[in-house]
Amino acid sequence: MALASCGADEPKIAGAAPTMRRLTEEQFRNSIADAFGADIKLGVKLEPLLRTGGLVALGAQHASVTPFGVEKLHQLAKSVASQVVDPQHRRTLVACGPTDPSAFDEACASQFFVRVGRSLYRRPLTEAELKARIESAAAATATLGDFYRGLGSSLTAMLMGPKFLYLIETTEPDPERPGSVRLDAYAKASRLSFFMWNAAPDNALLDAAARGDLDASSGLARQVDRMLASVRLEDGLRGFFADAFGFDQFETLEKDAIIYPVFNLQVAEDAAEQLLLTLNDVLIVRGEDYRNIFTTRHSFISAALARVYRVEAPNPTGWAPYEFPAGDPRVGIQSQVAFTALHSHPGKSSPTLRGKAVRELLLCQKIPEPPADVDFSKFNDPQSPLKTARLRLAMHTEQAACAGCHKLTDPIGLGLEKFDGVGQLRITEQGEPIDPSGDLDGAKFADAADFAKALSTNPASTSCVVNRLFGYGVGRVPSRQDQPVLDYLQQVFASDGYRYRALLQRVATSKAFFAVTSEAAGVAAQLAPSEAKGAP
Amino acid sequence: MHLWGPAAAFVSAVVCSVTGSAADRGRTLGFAVTNWDTAIYESRFEDECPEGLTPSNEENWLRGLSQADRARFTSKGSGGYGNRPTRRGANGENVCHFPTSAVDPPLLEAEGKLSYGINLDGTQDGKATAKSCAHEKFQGVDGTPAVDNQMYRLLGCTYGWRHYGIVDINADGQRKANGLGLILIEVRNVDDLQNDDDVEVAFYRSIDRVAVDGSASPLPYGTYRIDTVNGVPRYGSVVKGKIVKGELITQPANVNLPFYGNYTFIEQRFRDLSLHLEIDPSGEHAKGTIAGYYDVEQLWDYIRGLSLTSTHQYSCPAVFTALKKLADGYPDASGQCTHISSAFLVKAVNGFIQHPTESKISEASRGKTSSNGGRVSAEN
Repeated sequence: MALASCGADEPKIAGAAPTMRRLTEEQFRNSIADAFGADIKLGVKLEPLLRTGGLVALGAQHASVTPFGVEKLHQLAKSVASQVVDPQHRRTLVACGPTDPSAFDEACASQFFVRVGRSLYRRPLTEAELKARIESAAAATATLGDFYRGLGSSLTAMLMGPKFLYLIETTEPDPERPGSVRLDAYAKASRLSFFMWNAAPDNALLDAAARGDLDASSGLARQVDRMLASVRLEDGLRGFFADAFGFDQFETLEKDAIIYPVFNLQVAEDAAEQLLLTLNDVLIVRGEDYRNIFTTRHSFISAALARVYRVEAPNPTGWAPYEFPAGDPRVGIQSQVAFTALHSHPGKSSPTLRGKAVRELLLCQKIPEPPADVDFSKFNDPQSPLKTARLRLAMHTEQAACAGCHKLTDPIGLGLEKFDGVGQLRITEQGEPIDPSGDLDGAKFADAADFAKALSTNPASTSCVVNRLFGYGVGRVPSRQDQPVLDYLQQVFASDGYRYRALLQRVATSKAFFAVTSEAAGVAAQLAPSEAKGAP
Repeated sequence: MHLWGPAAAFVSAVVCSVTGSAADRGRTLGFAVTNWDTAIYESRFEDECPEGLTPSNEENWLRGLSQADRARFTSKGSGGYGNRPTRRGANGENVCHFPTSAVDPPLLEAEGKLSYGINLDGTQDGKATAKSCAHEKFQGVDGTPAVDNQMYRLLGCTYGWRHYGIVDINADGQRKANGLGLILIEVRNVDDLQNDDDVEVAFYRSIDRVAVDGSASPLPYGTYRIDTVNGVPRYGSVVKGKIVKGELITQPANVNLPFYGNYTFIEQRFRDLSLHLEIDPSGEHAKGTIAGYYDVEQLWDYIRGLSLTSTHQYSCPAVFTALKKLADGYPDASGQCTHISSAFLVKAVNGFIQHPTESKISEASRGKTSSNGGRVSAEN
């Protein structure tokens, strides 16, 4: 990809210790699909990760596995392994076979684990690792009397092991900085691939790592350009934004069926998909300015969502592009059902939750949790003469303990008040006209469309995506020492016209993206040397 | 373009809320009929059915058995006699296919004075005219004099059609579940949603089903594609109408309507059909009456097809005989009326009716907008 030079040089930063992160649910699924095909069914979910620094992916650094989690993982691994070696799949996934199916075939097992191991461990197996897998399969074959079940047993152990389940970044001495370390080529490949595709490295990237291409800027640039041109870039975009915009909350999203009969599981699924389709369309397909995600009228719609938006479904059996007309208050992703429904109460809208979500998810600003002793009785009083949320929320300004935070959230969320608790358009609340005017950091707006402009021109909207994306890529919450490079990336993002694809390229080819320190020698050093790489 | 592919292309009718403004001029409303129930007026049972409910095939068969046979066939409950209640013609014929092969006690007709429906023959006394046979009139439930509804007289005292019966409940449920036979009503050229003396109403069949909420209630704002054959709507009767105080009333016209229910498809051929439809203020729901002369042969085909379900509780020979007797519309050369006056209570939800034409999807992708954008409704 050719990018205009912005003239500024990337500041040098020390980086941080290499990380060890558990694969997210999506990364796990993508890895299985890449290794064995998309038809391998995964019926069980991994244990949820704790959101950290605004991203679930960063919570993966702190993931532990509970006993129950081990049971689930075993179930999952066993199910995957069983499918891989079943009669339906073994011809393509095992590719070789013993003369006697009840006897162990070392050559075939070796061939299988060499290929599969490279995909699952995201690097070639060491001799010791390969030997361990073969011995495990041989022992299981002897016990079970079936070669394929023996392979499956050994594969199950592999899928449950930390070398697959965790992204363990390993280092090597840096020849350009004697006494320092750098990520080794395979760790770079994984960091790059999970960043751009939300998946493990493909063969081409692993081959490039094996050749040492990723240690040279030209080789790295070739791979980055290849990955940017791939259709899998959409997977990466989906992984990042679903995480950054808190889509894990959809799993527990519920609405009062009496108040919002139109809302159901299909609407929730489609709402999330609509937002991701919109982002992909604006940022990758059309290659527009990132800020346009807050002002776009272009989207996609399904039949279930069309009922919520109360518009015709252009394609009643699937998805279709949809343009909200001029004058319609649906402007930008923040007006879509995914945002308005997710950041509402089960039975009503919430300017406070929406304002908080805008601050935290779209502008990367932290809003403190409410004090424990808040009295909501007046606000929730169904007999209250205060018919609209605006009137009720005004009560907060009278209480000093509440006013501080509510001043940060409510004037924003009120701009979306014409969307009810599931995102349906309305003009009144309890018979009173809704006033959707508000204020975002001093920018007054009259309605949702006006708010969209204020949001798109707020400097924090672009710095937010830069910071989040960088943290997502390097697998840790950016620290103060990263600020110079974040400022630099923000600067080049602007000079690139706020193009998302260009930002990905800038981050992925930056020195900072792979910068690691030798202190603590990373997670690999925390493991015993034999565990880190050489041992099975 | 292949019509049924995922990118099937349609241009839509529009739904809108009943707010009445200049913006309403020339608008099109779309509705999907979610409930289609035979209009059986029920108030005081002793007035409507003083002799009780019509005996069923099963009951007539049991009554005709000797005491020994009755004991023999019922020793295992009702499961022991299979289809004998219907195969009781003189030579073992199925009395629902050969209704004259057995003679049952006469059907018990509804004897109440009130009924749903409209005056179809134009008379006040029900005397025979060129297009009708002599019959008794009802007073309309709403006080309208000289209402015709011989179908109510026919079925009003039959278990399956009364409120505890399941003929219509089953049919409504099946249409809801599988979307078959869903009637679409498109109201065109609406200038004023309260009073408009010239609107056009078209009837279609949908290929999409009605979406429902968690309690199986129909959801408004669905999108429905019209069922077509070679690009032409399979149904598509168009009639003139008017809106009076918010109620849509169509002029009598011959209209074909789809029907599916109780595992039976019918092309309902109505004569002199009128639609009376009240649209609620939100524009999302509507209810009303469809009245007209119903083809006797079609009704008989439907009813006899239900005979295997003993819970409907009617006698085929009795219904057949009564149907010929009560038919009151459009006599043939012999003087036997071929149609029966009828009324159906309907409920509908609003929706977008898509006509088969140029690609809506490609229009949207080019940035054109839905003709219904920007509409809002108030939250309760």
